[in-house]
Parts: sequence; C-alpha cells; structure tokens
Amino acid sequence: MEMDMVKYLAKLAKLSFTDEELEKAVADMTDIIDLMDTIKDIDVVYDAYKDNHNVYLADLRKDEAMPSLPTEKLLANAVNQENCFVVPKVVE
Amino acid sequence: MSMDLTVKQLRDGLDSREFSAREITQSYLDRIEKIDGQLESYITVTGEKALAAADKAQQRIDAGESAPLTGIPMAIKDNICTEGVLTTCASRMLENFVPPYNATVMDRLEAQDTVLLGKVSMDEFAMGGSTQTSAFKKTKNPFDLTRVPGGSSGGSAAAVSADLCGAALGSDTGGSIRQPASFCGVTGLKPTYGRVSRYGLVAFASSFDQIGPIARSAEDCGIILNAIAGYDYHDGTASKLPVEDYTAKLGMDMKGKKIAYVSEFFGEGVDDEVRNSVLAAIDSYKAMGAQVVECSMPSLKYAIAAYYLIASAEASSNLARYDGIKYGHRSEVEGSYNDLVIASRSEGFGDEVKRRILLGNYALSSGYYDAYYGKAMGLRQRIREEYAGIFEKCDLIITPTAPSVAYGINENIHDPRKMYQADFCTVTVNIASLPAISTTCGYNADGMPIGMSIVGNMWKEADIIGAADAFEKTFVRRSAAL
Amino acid sequence: MISDYIPVIGLEIHCELSTNSKVFCTCSAEFGGDRNTRCCPVCCGMPGTLPIINQTAVEYAVRAGYALNCGINKFSVFDRKNYFYPDLPKAYQISELNFPIVLAGEVPIEYEENGEKKKKSIRINHIHLEEDAGKLVHDDLNGVSLCDYNRCGVPLIEIVTEPDMRSPEEARKLVETIALQLQYAGVSDCKMEEGSIRADVNVSLMRKDATEFGTRAEIKNVNSLKSIYRTIEYEIKRQAQILDRGGEVVQETRRFDANKGETKAMRSKEDAHDYKYFPDPDILQVNFTDEDLERIKASLPEMPAQRRERYLSMGIPEKEAMVIVNDKVISDFFEDCMKVYNNPKSLVNFINGEIMRRINLGEIDKDAPKYTAAQVAHLVEMSETDKVSKNDAKTIFREMAEKGGDPEEIAKREGMIIVVDTTRVHEVIDAVFAANPGPVEQYKNGDKKVFGFIMGLCNKELRGSATPKVVKEELEKRLAAL
Repeated sequence: MEMDMVKYLAKLAKLSFTDEELEKAVADMTDIIDLMDTIKDIDVVYDAYKDNHNVYLADLRKDEAMPSLPTEKLLANAVNQENCFVVPKVVE
Repeated sequence: MSMDLTVKQLRDGLDSREFSAREITQSYLDRIEKIDGQLESYITVTGEKALAAADKAQQRIDAGESAPLTGIPMAIKDNICTEGVLTTCASRMLENFVPPYNATVMDRLEAQDTVLLGKVSMDEFAMGGSTQTSAFKKTKNPFDLTRVPGGSSGGSAAAVSADLCGAALGSDTGGSIRQPASFCGVTGLKPTYGRVSRYGLVAFASSFDQIGPIARSAEDCGIILNAIAGYDYHDGTASKLPVEDYTAKLGMDMKGKKIAYVSEFFGEGVDDEVRNSVLAAIDSYKAMGAQVVECSMPSLKYAIAAYYLIASAEASSNLARYDGIKYGHRSEVEGSYNDLVIASRSEGFGDEVKRRILLGNYALSSGYYDAYYGKAMGLRQRIREEYAGIFEKCDLIITPTAPSVAYGINENIHDPRKMYQADFCTVTVNIASLPAISTTCGYNADGMPIGMSIVGNMWKEADIIGAADAFEKTFVRRSAAL
Repeated sequence: MISDYIPVIGLEIHCELSTNSKVFCTCSAEFGGDRNTRCCPVCCGMPGTLPIINQTAVEYAVRAGYALNCGINKFSVFDRKNYFYPDLPKAYQISELNFPIVLAGEVPIEYEENGEKKKKSIRINHIHLEEDAGKLVHDDLNGVSLCDYNRCGVPLIEIVTEPDMRSPEEARKLVETIALQLQYAGVSDCKMEEGSIRADVNVSLMRKDATEFGTRAEIKNVNSLKSIYRTIEYEIKRQAQILDRGGEVVQETRRFDANKGETKAMRSKEDAHDYKYFPDPDILQVNFTDEDLERIKASLPEMPAQRRERYLSMGIPEKEAMVIVNDKVISDFFEDCMKVYNNPKSLVNFINGEIMRRINLGEIDKDAPKYTAAQVAHLVEMSETDKVSKNDAKTIFREMAEKGGDPEEIAKREGMIIVVDTTRVHEVIDAVFAANPGPVEQYKNGDKKVFGFIMGLCNKELRGSATPKVVKEELEKRLAAL
C-alpha cells in the first residue's frame, strides 16, 4: 500500500500519524492487504436478497414515544454549556 | 475455603447455607486483592456494590426464592455497559466513560440478583487475541504468567481460571470467548447470533458480536445462557425464537450422533499437540457411540480475509462516533472542530484499533468496495452455505479452538498478519452466525491447556452444551497454577 | 445571455414524517423542546446502543410513495452513510441506498408561467427513509458551536426527482404540490418554517443546441418556497455569466444566503469525502406483504384532486374551491364546518372572505385558532337565516377570533339577535307615520323616493326586532294601503 493511500485513509478516518508512525502503518497495511488479497482468487458476488431474515412491517416497533434521558445524564460524560454539547465553532 | 467452585456448586453452597452471599463475595474480593496484582484481570473492582448486592441476594436466598444466579459473584467484560460503573473497553478513549444505562444482559443478571464483582480487561475495543492491546491491564495467563490469556475476553477467562469470580461474561466477534477460554483452560460459549441481546455491548463488528458466558463447565455456561438469552425490544437483531432450557441436554447420549470432521481445520498451521489432543477427544466421542463423518469446507482459506474485511469495515463505522465530544477522551488541543476530532481519536485509540479502522475505511472506500467489502460479503454467504451443507449430514462439528496453546507475551503482537491468521479456527462460526462452545480437551507438554470447539447448527446451544458436558464428565480438568 | 441556455433542475426534497416517536428510538419526534430534552443514549449515539425501527415511519414512507404515484419496493435495506459532523452523533446517518422503500413514479404539476397555464409531469427517481440530524447553535462570542440533538433521529423521507424541471417556477410548484400531497396523505406537516420540508437543489445549464447536461452545482438545505425560487434564479444567472465568459461551472456544494439572495460555496463540504455506504448490520431488512401494501394504499385519505372534484360538484366555483383545497388546514376546517351546517357556498364565502382576510393579516394563527369549526358554522348559519345581520356577524367573528367564545352568546350579550315581532313592526310604522306626516303625504302623491327615508326611520327603531326584509315588506303593504 502506498503512503498516499494511508494518508488518504487517515484523513477519511480522522486520524493523524507522526512520520514514524506513518512508515510503520504503511508496512503493516501492506502486509495486511496482502493477506486480504487472498480473496482475489475466488469469484463470488454478494446477493442482498439471500440475507433476508423475513422481518415484516408488522414485526417492527410500535410508534410510541417514551420519556427521554434527563439532560444532565445525557451530558454527564461531556464538556457542556447551556445544556448542549460543545465543539469549536463550525463554519458552513 | 477452595474457590474452585462451579456456579452449580456455588448455588448449592448458598442454598444450603454452607456460606452466605456476603462471605463468598468477600472471599472473591480478598482473592482479587491478593493475586490480581500479578494477573491483572480486573480494570475496575466494585467491592462495595458487590457486597451490597450480595446482601440483597441473601434476602432472596433466605426467602427461599433464589434464581439460578442469585448471589453468584461474576466478572463482566469491560465492553458491556454497566450503569454507573466505568466501562472502558480497555481504551484510553473511554477511560472515564460511565454509562447512564445498563446493557440488557446486565438487567437480566440483576433481575436474578447476581453479584457484580467488577469489570475485567480485554483487548482494546475487543480487537485482538491476547489482551495485550488493553490500555490498562495486560492480563496474564493463570497457567503461566509469562504467557497471554488469549483474547479479546482475556480478563474474563483468566479471572474464571484463577478463581477470581464464579463465572464471567465475555463477547465473541471472531473467537474472543472461545480462544481465551481455551488458553486459560475453562469453558466458553458463543451463542447463535441473535440469541443474546447486544444492547449495551459496545459494538466492534455488529454482524458478528455476541455476548456469552465463560465458566468452569459447560453446565455453568448453560445456566448463564438461560439467564441472558432471549428477545430484547432494544435489539432489532435479537431473535424472537423462544428460548429453551440450555441445561436440558446435559450428559447427552452421543450414540448415533454424527460429528463432522472438517479436514481443513486440522491442516498446516495447527500444532501437532493441539491436533492430536482434539483428535483424541473425537475418539472419545466415538467411544461414546458417535459417528464421525469426513467433511470439507473449501472456502476456509478465504475466511480470515472475509472476516477481517467485514469486521473492520463495520468497526470503522462503529468507532467513528468516538470524537471526544459526547463522551470519552477529548484532546486538549486548540483549534477547529476537525483538529479536535483528529487529535482526540489519535490520542484515544491504540495502534491495533487504528489499523482496523484504516483497513475498514479501505474496504469500504469507493473504488475498493466491490473488490473487498462486496466480495467478503459474497464469501460470507458462500461459507454459510458450506456450513448448511455440513449440517444436512451432521449434528456437530469439532475443531481445534486455536492452532496453538497460549503463546508468550509479546510473541505475536508485533506481527498483525500472523495474529490475524491465528483466528482461522474460530472466525467462520461468527461468519455463519453459529453457536460454538470451547472446552478443554488436553494439556501440552508444558501443561498448557488445549481447547476444542464444538460447533452446532443455528439455535442448537442445548446440543453443544450437552455434548461438551458429556466430554467434561470423562475429562479431568486441571487447576491453574496461580 | 441567460436565454442561450436551458436550465436543468433536479431536487432532493426532505420531509419530516409526523410520527410520535423518532425513527430509531422512542424519544418524542415533536418539533422543538428545550435543548437536549428529547434525547436518549440511542439517538445520541452512545456506545453499545442500537436502532429499533419505527413501524409507523416505514408505513408513512410507503404511504408517501402512494401519494406521489410511485412504486413500492417489497424488500428494503437500510444503509449507513458515514461522515463526521457535529450534528451527527453516530458519525453516520442511517439511510437507504440500493433498496429504498419507494421506487420510481411521477408527479403531475399545474402552474402558470408568463400568464399561460401549463401542465407537466416530473419523474421521481425514488424515495428513501432516513434520520434527521441535530441542530447547531453558533456562539460567536465564545467561538463555539452548541449541539442540540433533539432533532437527531426524527424520521425523514428524501424524495429524489429526475432533473426534469426547466424553470424556477416548475421547481417551486413541484415542492408545493408534493407538500400538499403529503399533508393530505397525513404523513407530514410540511411546515417550511419549522424546517419539516426542505430541499437540496441541483442546477445546471445546457446550451440550446447541446445534447448533454452541463456541470451542476448543488445548493443544500433551501428551506422555503420563495428561497427555492430565488436560489434557482440566482444560480441560473451565476452559471450563465460563467459560461458566457467561456468559463466552466465547478461541481460543488453551495449554500443559499436568503438575506443576500446569493449562493456561496460551502467551506465545510470541501473536505475529502466518501460516504462509504454499506448495509447497516444493526437493522434487519424490511419486507412488505401484498396485504400490507393494499391496506396502506386503501388507507390513503381523500387527496387534493378528489377533494377539488367534490367541491366543484357542490357548486363551489373553481377559483374558490382551489383556495380551500390548496390549504389542507383550511380545507379540513371547511369539512368540519360542513358537518354542522351543510351550506357550502355560504361557508366558502365566509372562510375565503372574512377568515382568510384575518389570517393573511396575521390576526389569526390558523393552526391554533381560538374558535372552533362548529362555532363558525353556527355563526354563518345565524347570518344566513337573518338571526343576526351580516355586519353584526363580522363583529361577532372578530371577537371569536380575538378572544374566542360562542357566537350566540356574544350576539345575545351585544343585543344583536333579531327576533321578528310583527306587532311591534306595525306599532313602529304607525308611530313613524304619525310623527312624519309630510314624507308619508309625499309618497302618497307619487314621490316614491321617500320610501328609503321612511324605511330608515323604521329600521332605526326596530333594530333587533326585525330584519330589514320584514320591515320592507310590511312598510310596502302599509304604504300601498294608504
């Protein structure tokens, strides 16, 4: 796997690596992809219809609203302000 | 007092007033205090809560209303959410995460007044087979402290094996219950996908994850499965099929049972001692009257790739929510939203988790999706069909649980490829959603336990528990050195 | 020159479904609420939580499909659309990619352009069910954005059209038509001001002689009919200028600034992205039986076209009928009035006149008026049967609209009830004749113009005891007998 690909995947995954870590990641990923490439030998196509568990409309949850979690419990594990989760200002 | 007691024995002791729930709980807490410094299985010990729960359980016992798990002290893998109790997934990312809700299995255990001793270690986010990727407690093997306990439910298996709890819950995505059970010389059950609710189990790979028991015997696994199995409103993938009594087939009569011997599981890469021990176990089943049918699974050689592609793809999406904003590690970095998320994730996740996230992103990214994720999903269907073919002819499949016994700490950890390949005995069971139980079938020359897996058809937990129990009744299990 | 190009417009219209609970959890789906009070571990993406799909949301999506003349997919799969944004706590949106609930269809629109009446059909590519995201409140002072997740998980359908529209008016009319159909189908309020219907607008230009579409720009989240019109108008101008200069339109995501009336490229969307869609392993595929679909189709209430036909058959003029039909709230109000007083023409006159006038002046909140349909029907009946005068009816209605109250009681209190008392009429006529011998004499002598004067004097005395009609009749009789 190329360095550029690892950098692109890191960007997609919102991860950052030091140069040293990147070198290691490229080596590891190359090795791992090599193992994954064993599936290139076989010709199979996924068929979504085969994965049907026969769940029908009537089996789904009834539309009843129930009490929500108290706001302070919801925010207990987070930096919060004015009953909200807080992030650095996002510009649209 | 010996602490090497099965759930069944604990039940008898509690109900006959041989010991009280508080006494037995205190004994486990004392033993944890005494030896867990060496073993490093517990991330969190909930001593006070445990004693309070024990007292509550005692009232129920005294009233003669005890349920099978009332007053039984248990350890819970640290990826199962416990309301008000730290749930870390052995990751810096969730170092301070206290869930405001219980996993459904916790509600079900609490309904029987089970005693929670604490939360046990694991590979970070259940990714690994050694418990050495844990950010907090790199658990050791109770049979040999220089070796790994297996993983990812290494803390659960080691705690059971070292008598630091009556039984434990683990989770199994690609072998994470069975392989550590095998390494630590205990019994571990991975139920059929959908048999136990996943609600509150921190997701690794949603289509593979299942919670299950790790205990001293197949019977104990059945007792615990009885408590946790069944439909759950909060999990859309939980089955509505009625639950059975999973202890109903204990001591199963093996006469006429057809056991599949799938040669691919015994090939190259499996240690001789392991192969011979599992074959010997198959022979003892034969002696009990079972027939052995030779079968084949041609797609097994693709299973590792299919498993890692699908599991990592799902994991990359499941772990995207850890951004430092709603819970979990939040970086001190100054900067934009993007900077904050990147720094929090990069600081919070360990190397193995990052590798899986990269792999998952790769498998799903446009241009690679069809060749990797799409094909892996096709393979998954192919492997299911191959299993279905085997179960048309056979009742059970017996395979080694792992190609080797527990290896030395740090032996495999720097070689992800080798680490992944070691899972080939267990992953197809998850790929095909099947139930499987691992029990000890021998010891190698160093005295390390060897495990075999008994795989059943969908929803046939009672059968594999029964078959494992039939073997356990003929087998002398050794206690761990610690 | 704009006239050198043909605009090509496609829309993705998002409508919130009016279910009680959210699409994947049991929190209330109602609009508004204090910040983060309609949230739970599931819709906030806490570790270990799982979606449980809402039956009514699925049924409403099917109903929306039927209301827009589309086909239904009997097998539907939910996918994850992965991206990071602070309003999306799981870092993926549950949506549908390859197997949406609703398949292709066509929506007819009728509109006026340059004074000409036109008809056209716009093709729908598909409609899928997904979850809404949260809301961000920007705090400029502290340089932070605050995340409110109340809206996270509110069910949305996304209606994806083919690029069949060629003018801003066609696009505006399509959204209006779809909103009306969905309101009648009872699946969405489609309130622009609450963001319950909004659109992503795709615009490109092609030269009149070209055979292929040009490069398009996508303008996200346009949230009023007026803005949709203005956005498209602006984009056509902007792109025409670029093309006129020999430039190329960049394929990008833009945002409409309603204050400035312009579109701008969005910074946040410049990130490299790949949604990495894959089937959500937490949600099992949804199937529909033929009976399900027949039942849902049959449950569609009377739609705008049928209602219009029925109104015309009642003798309501087309223009008046359309004013009523085009506003579901008003039309339903009219229906309720009809149940109490079956006089369509008078009711329509009163609603389209007095009520609409006050609604348009902003004096009445049409969604929560202080009067009931029964009260208005009664008032119209009182006015039609001369129980109160037409003028007094308006005065009474004013009080009903401002403070509420029963029209009969108001009329009584204000002395507006007309009780015809013939004896009193005669007495008054006698008195008026006696007091005004001059005008009476004039009339007798053929000066018929004084009739009005005499009539006025009588009416003044007879207020509340006779209708002008009765006074006129009686007066004519008496004068003729002189």
